[in-house]
Amino acid sequence: MNAEQAAAALTRVATEVGATLSRRMAGEYTEDEWGFDEEFAELAFPFFEFLYDHWWRVEVSGIEHVPGHGRALMAANHAGSIFPFDATMIGTAIMKEHPLPRFSRALVLNWAFELPYISLFLRKVGGVPAVPDNAVRLLRQDDLVMVFPEGLKGTGKPFAERYRLARFGRGGFVEMALRTGAPIIPVAVVGSEEIYPKLAESSALARLVGAPFFPLTPTFPWLGPLGLVPLPSRWRIQFCEPIDVSGYGPEAAGDHALLFDISEQVRERVQEAVYDNLVARGAAFM
Amino acid sequence: MARGDKRSSGGKRVVITGVSSRWGTELARTLERDSSIDAVIGIDLHPPAEDLVRTEYLEADIRNPVISRVLPSLEPDVLVHCGIVWYPEPDKPARALHDINVIGTLQLLAACEKTPSLKAIVARGSAAIYGSAPSTPAFFTEEMARSYPLETRFQRDISELESYFENFDRRHPKITCCMLRYQPEIGPDLDVPLMRYFNLPVVPTQLGFDPRLQLLHAEDATEALAAAVANPVNGAVNVAPSGTISLTKLLRLAGRPTLPLPHIVAEPILSRFGRDALGAADLSTDGLRLLRYGRGCDNTRLRQEIGFEPRFTAEGAVRDFVAKASGRRLLPSAHPAGLRSRLNTDHSSSPASAAAQSVPEVGS
Repeated sequence: MNAEQAAAALTRVATEVGATLSRRMAGEYTEDEWGFDEEFAELAFPFFEFLYDHWWRVEVSGIEHVPGHGRALMAANHAGSIFPFDATMIGTAIMKEHPLPRFSRALVLNWAFELPYISLFLRKVGGVPAVPDNAVRLLRQDDLVMVFPEGLKGTGKPFAERYRLARFGRGGFVEMALRTGAPIIPVAVVGSEEIYPKLAESSALARLVGAPFFPLTPTFPWLGPLGLVPLPSRWRIQFCEPIDVSGYGPEAAGDHALLFDISEQVRERVQEAVYDNLVARGAAFM
Repeated sequence: MARGDKRSSGGKRVVITGVSSRWGTELARTLERDSSIDAVIGIDLHPPAEDLVRTEYLEADIRNPVISRVLPSLEPDVLVHCGIVWYPEPDKPARALHDINVIGTLQLLAACEKTPSLKAIVARGSAAIYGSAPSTPAFFTEEMARSYPLETRFQRDISELESYFENFDRRHPKITCCMLRYQPEIGPDLDVPLMRYFNLPVVPTQLGFDPRLQLLHAEDATEALAAAVANPVNGAVNVAPSGTISLTKLLRLAGRPTLPLPHIVAEPILSRFGRDALGAADLSTDGLRLLRYGRGCDNTRLRQEIGFEPRFTAEGAVRDFVAKASGRRLLPSAHPAGLRSRLNTDHSSSPASAAAQSVPEVGS
């Protein structure tokens, strides 16, 4: 009886998947104006969920600081020299832990959009090129936007400098928040630094493949594709209390002193939260 | 659609350059029906389609300085510049393109300097000025045109053409200079490189890339131009549908089989080599980049300032195209060989010979 039920359930699932696929092959699927494909993102979700639950055993705090609707800008520390998985894990945390789950949009390093398949995948799951105008348009559409102010300086830093935040650029993310009146939510991620420990880098290989930097980790590129498997560190993500900047008004976006002030305030908050969570986590891989 | 004429004392006189191009002719056809327009005068090197009745045709070359004597005598209120090549193709030499687009515009603007009756110039330009690159705004607004490097020769030509317009605009604050930046158009009977590409029996795509596109419905393209003539605004205006559609989705909706190829292979096949050796589409560098990285334009100015709301979204335009194109493709198969042979068996002793007879008829 049970076997019969299971067989019936399996057939139903197979039929559903088949119907979805053939519908998609006929072009009947929805992508928003950014090319975000919600159905595709949901299909990819189980993979991220596996990484979240079992591979990195993510623990989350402060999820209540993420608004259930309306615009907000999350600013997080950045790490993971080959594939920065931090964006996907922050997104997964909101989908899994928030009472009102919502997709977030990540501003992605521009170079990624030159790459075949990777650019396509990023776009379909909600990534957009990290151009200020894109962030402003998304925030005006009341989206939840994720930004990594350290940028390449974050992902490219050597393992010895892990969890020490790099400089926060020119405060461009604060400008986006000021122009749109969106609150800034500092986000601290712990665990992402250990997934691909960057011991050295090769500028010759970077030039060869046209990459901004070419990381050498204990496994990459020595083990080939196997070297792309991230190490199973233990992760913690903390969403800090939002910083409301709407009081300054959009004209304050041109005030560089203010941009640096707020940017530094966010950086300090993230750094502090990173240290707190590092202590709370204890051993990296246990 | 706003059709308010700001200067309603007497009708307008409209001069259209490049009147024999598809978009020039369609505009003339639309303006002929508009009673607020006194005269439509078309300039080109060869006469336009014959169904234009009210349009006066004048054979002239805008690249020739003689245009400076011709244009003032026509006493235009509005000049619509359609004498632009919008679709670079590999077999159109870059010099010839430059000649028409840049030198032609330059001579035309020199003629405008000597035309005191002129109140507005509307140029039907191209959104190709923004180019296509991996990391650009998902939606270009008008002021972003020069914040990104000009990658291709065509892009530089369009940019140069626009800079002459801006210069003219600065010198003549009383003349409204409206530069329309058109996204590529889509329509079943359009003979342009991009449409030839979509109509290939098997469509080669660039492996791992799926650009976001905005294709403007051909009807919207014409109506937007007429709206800009009725209500020109100063500066650049993007003419694009709302939303975007990805190339993959477009080709799937159209039911076209695709052949993803690494772009080092796809590029020669889709450009000159493909045309000469395979009879396939011939796309320029601009077209190839568009089909790799895509391009989106913000159409807020078009909707709010010119007051034209495109009837079709990016996806709607494609769906309408598919509905019309497939309607036409169905025609030949309305009498399939099998059906005809079965019908013929009633009159013929041998079904095999009837089927054999019917084959060439179907093919014709």
